[in-house]
Amino acid sequence: MENILEVNDLHVSFKTHRGEVKAVRGVNLTLKKGEALAIVGESGSGKSVTTKAIMGLLPKPAGRVKSGEVLFNERDLTKLSDKQMQKLRGSEISMIFQDPMTSLNPTMTIGKQIMEGIRRHQNLSKADAKKRAIELLELVGIPNPEERVKQYPHQFSGGMRQRVVIAIALACNPKVLIADEPTTALDVTIQAQILDLMKDLQKKTNTSIVLITHDLGVVANMAQRVAVMYGGKVIETGTVDEIFYEPKHPYTWGLLSSMPRVDSKNSELLAIPGTPPDLSNPPKGCPFAARCPHAMKVCTEFMPDYSDVSDTHKTACWLQDERSPKVEPPETIQVGGDR
Amino acid sequence: MALSNNEITKEMFEPVAMSSSESEAIVGKSTSFWKDSFQRLLRNKGAVISAIILLLIVLMALIGPTMNKYGIDDQDVVRQNLPAKIPGLDKIHWLPFDGVENNVDLYQTQHAKDNFWFGTDDLGRDLWTRTWKGTQVSLFIAVVAAAIDLLIGVAYGGISAYFGGKVDNVLQRIVEVIIGIPNLVIIILMILILQPGLVSIIVAMVITGWVTMSRIVRAQMLKLKSEEYVLASRTLGASHSRIISRHLLPNTLGQIIINTMFTIPSAIFFEAFLSFIGLGIKDPVASLGSLINRGYGVMQIHPYQVIFPGIVISLLLICFNILGDGLRDAFDPKLRQ
Amino acid sequence: MARYIAKRIVYMIITFLVVITFTFLTMKLMPGTPFKNQNRISPEQLAQLKHYYGLDQPVPIQYLHYIGNALHGDLGGSFQFGMRPVTTILAEKAPVSFDLGFEAVIIGAIFGILLGVIAGLRRGTILDYGTMFISVLGISIPSFVLAVFMQYFFGVKWQLLPLAYWKGPEYHIMPVIALAVGVVANVARFMRTEMVEVVNQDYITTARAKGISSFNVIFKHSVRNALIPVITILGPLTAAIVTGSLVIENIFAIPGIGSQFVDSIVTNDYPMIMGTTELYSALLIIMIFIVDILYGVIDPRIRLAGGE
Repeated sequence: MENILEVNDLHVSFKTHRGEVKAVRGVNLTLKKGEALAIVGESGSGKSVTTKAIMGLLPKPAGRVKSGEVLFNERDLTKLSDKQMQKLRGSEISMIFQDPMTSLNPTMTIGKQIMEGIRRHQNLSKADAKKRAIELLELVGIPNPEERVKQYPHQFSGGMRQRVVIAIALACNPKVLIADEPTTALDVTIQAQILDLMKDLQKKTNTSIVLITHDLGVVANMAQRVAVMYGGKVIETGTVDEIFYEPKHPYTWGLLSSMPRVDSKNSELLAIPGTPPDLSNPPKGCPFAARCPHAMKVCTEFMPDYSDVSDTHKTACWLQDERSPKVEPPETIQVGGDR
Repeated sequence: MALSNNEITKEMFEPVAMSSSESEAIVGKSTSFWKDSFQRLLRNKGAVISAIILLLIVLMALIGPTMNKYGIDDQDVVRQNLPAKIPGLDKIHWLPFDGVENNVDLYQTQHAKDNFWFGTDDLGRDLWTRTWKGTQVSLFIAVVAAAIDLLIGVAYGGISAYFGGKVDNVLQRIVEVIIGIPNLVIIILMILILQPGLVSIIVAMVITGWVTMSRIVRAQMLKLKSEEYVLASRTLGASHSRIISRHLLPNTLGQIIINTMFTIPSAIFFEAFLSFIGLGIKDPVASLGSLINRGYGVMQIHPYQVIFPGIVISLLLICFNILGDGLRDAFDPKLRQ
Repeated sequence: MARYIAKRIVYMIITFLVVITFTFLTMKLMPGTPFKNQNRISPEQLAQLKHYYGLDQPVPIQYLHYIGNALHGDLGGSFQFGMRPVTTILAEKAPVSFDLGFEAVIIGAIFGILLGVIAGLRRGTILDYGTMFISVLGISIPSFVLAVFMQYFFGVKWQLLPLAYWKGPEYHIMPVIALAVGVVANVARFMRTEMVEVVNQDYITTARAKGISSFNVIFKHSVRNALIPVITILGPLTAAIVTGSLVIENIFAIPGIGSQFVDSIVTNDYPMIMGTTELYSALLIIMIFIVDILYGVIDPRIRLAGGE
């Protein structure tokens, strides 16, 4: 399958009053046609910034792509002008945001907000655009769409609003859909509905999805491949099976151990001790070294390169080096390892 | 590999023991709210400069009138309407300190031996002394009015918020009526009843002024009351006085200070306004407003008489407002990062 | 919404009654009023006054009488104009004051919104700091000080503009600017704060993610939403305009209610003072009411939630 989206060695920095924060430090990602890629990691790992950079939505003038490229259908998006980027956004690539309570304009009707993108990208008359908006609302499962288009966001519940946000994102049949923690702000019961909806829509429209989340349950449910980010870098990437059953990076181990599971013999939840690195002054070596239970001297000094575990599975960890001592993944993960 | 392999030696692959205390260490030093706010204020150049200018004006208001031998009511028609003259600065022609009006050096024609730094008025009174004395009076009125606003407002708002329920209901209905009455109207009527003067101006301004403070205090306290840490403190059995003194007051103090910083300039303005329309301070006592009023009467012939008090009051108000803005930014938790 | 409006109207009436009562009491309490200080007015005036206020009757009756008259628009006769009805004089002078105030509000709002939007969009730049510094000056410097300085420089020293009076358009320039500067400054500051707030909202990112043009993001989403709360400062602004107009009209000899009011104070023309006070109160109270209702009508969140 061909790559629809490719991120190569992307660096993004923010200027703050405390100096430059290097939020993304050399990220590589690939997204194949029709596939769903999950990016996981804790807050501040650079996952949201990466997707904002792809969309050209970094807050100006503080944030900026320092180097690297974002290839969409072989076009480098970082080189496009604002105008060219506007043409692409919402039509070719679109985005769903985390909090449906704040991501809709409170003083504009739902219909207008959906039609805005349609009118901009497809030469439809007002009446046709409205028809399309009603269709979209129906598609995302909102009852009474003819009535609902005239209403304002505060007349919708959280889950319904997220459906509207999805309708806006899908309005122009985008090739790539970026979903930034689309279920985090929702009730657990609604979360499943929204995920089902997204899966269903992906099947219908064959859209490629980049899914940002820190919920590994969502990953297992939605994605085919996973990229684990930490400290502004992708530290492990592979298929869902590879990441869940043969994780190689101690951080991934930590993530998996901290996930509650029903079948675990050990009912205790394990936390990863410590806090993520300060990216205004990033560590020289592996960003996880300070919290890693298997850290070696080399880890604090040098950033490891990627080593291939399989064709699809890569990780950046010194433990993969033959000079390092043999370390077994913790038991909590091996329990889950019985396929 | 990008790195030269000879830098990485076998020994470097020895595991290092991770101390949990190290990974849990807090990056950056912790600062208290007040210290942090103060530091932020110091970083605000405009606020610092304003504070310095304000200090200078206050200082001049205190010592200015004693810097020469003229009292505020020393009249002498021989030296009337002399323009400003400051030795040294009189050589700089674009500054109004050369004692010359319409190309005539009035100090020579009127045989005045002394220099009047801000000139004299139509009764020959020294305007330097009167301007600083007037500043003193204006500042006094403003500070006293703001202090009374603060006392009444904090008490009223605090009681309303802390006791809530029926008390709050009654107190707030009263406030709703008062807030609807234009304060300009109340102030003017009060002055008419009380006769213009220092005390009546203060009373007139306080009568409506405290409402703003009480609303701010009430809103803030209501918000705090429902905060979880106050609830937590209450759950742990803290007494009323402890909750008020440890949680509610300290967290309202910022708002109180900010509001006071804006009350003072608005009081200065109202005093000047009243004096300007003839309802304020009466001769021989001076205030900035009455000086401007008097100077305005002869502005076409002797502009210097209105310019000096005009500049002082503008500076005062500008500096208070900038400092108030600075304080608000410094205290506003929304801007904290 | 209807309930909310009804509640607001009740408060409006109570407030206005308080003002009328207060003016009535002021009349009774005023030291050296024409009632006591008889050398200030002629015997006919005194007689007319006593008749008008029914001074032979008990105070509560007088009070009811006063309110009844006031509600009928009968505010008594002016001392300085030979007992001409106050209402007539006010009606005569109102248009001039209204012109002045209206021009100042319109000009002030347009420039204020413009400056606020620019400063808000260019947050943290020199443009922002410059605009905000100028607006601090505008808020701080009293309108009458500004008017006096302007009159001296443009009218007396350089003779670019007419010194005073209210005739052709060139006569409007100085007083309108003097009055508008405070409005511009207040609106600009408020608008900037709102813009900064709105620009950082998630829905602006959503709008940008849809790929609509920057122009539409700024005007259809940011400015539109930032404008709504600006309505709330219309009330205080009206009060500021009224306050300012008293001195501005006086300084520029504009024959409006404001300069008339100051004259009345100086000449102890009490019926005139009371009448004007009541007119101002009514104006401001109604203004605050309109703003409240308008806010509810314009903001869909409040409009549909049914007020409060």
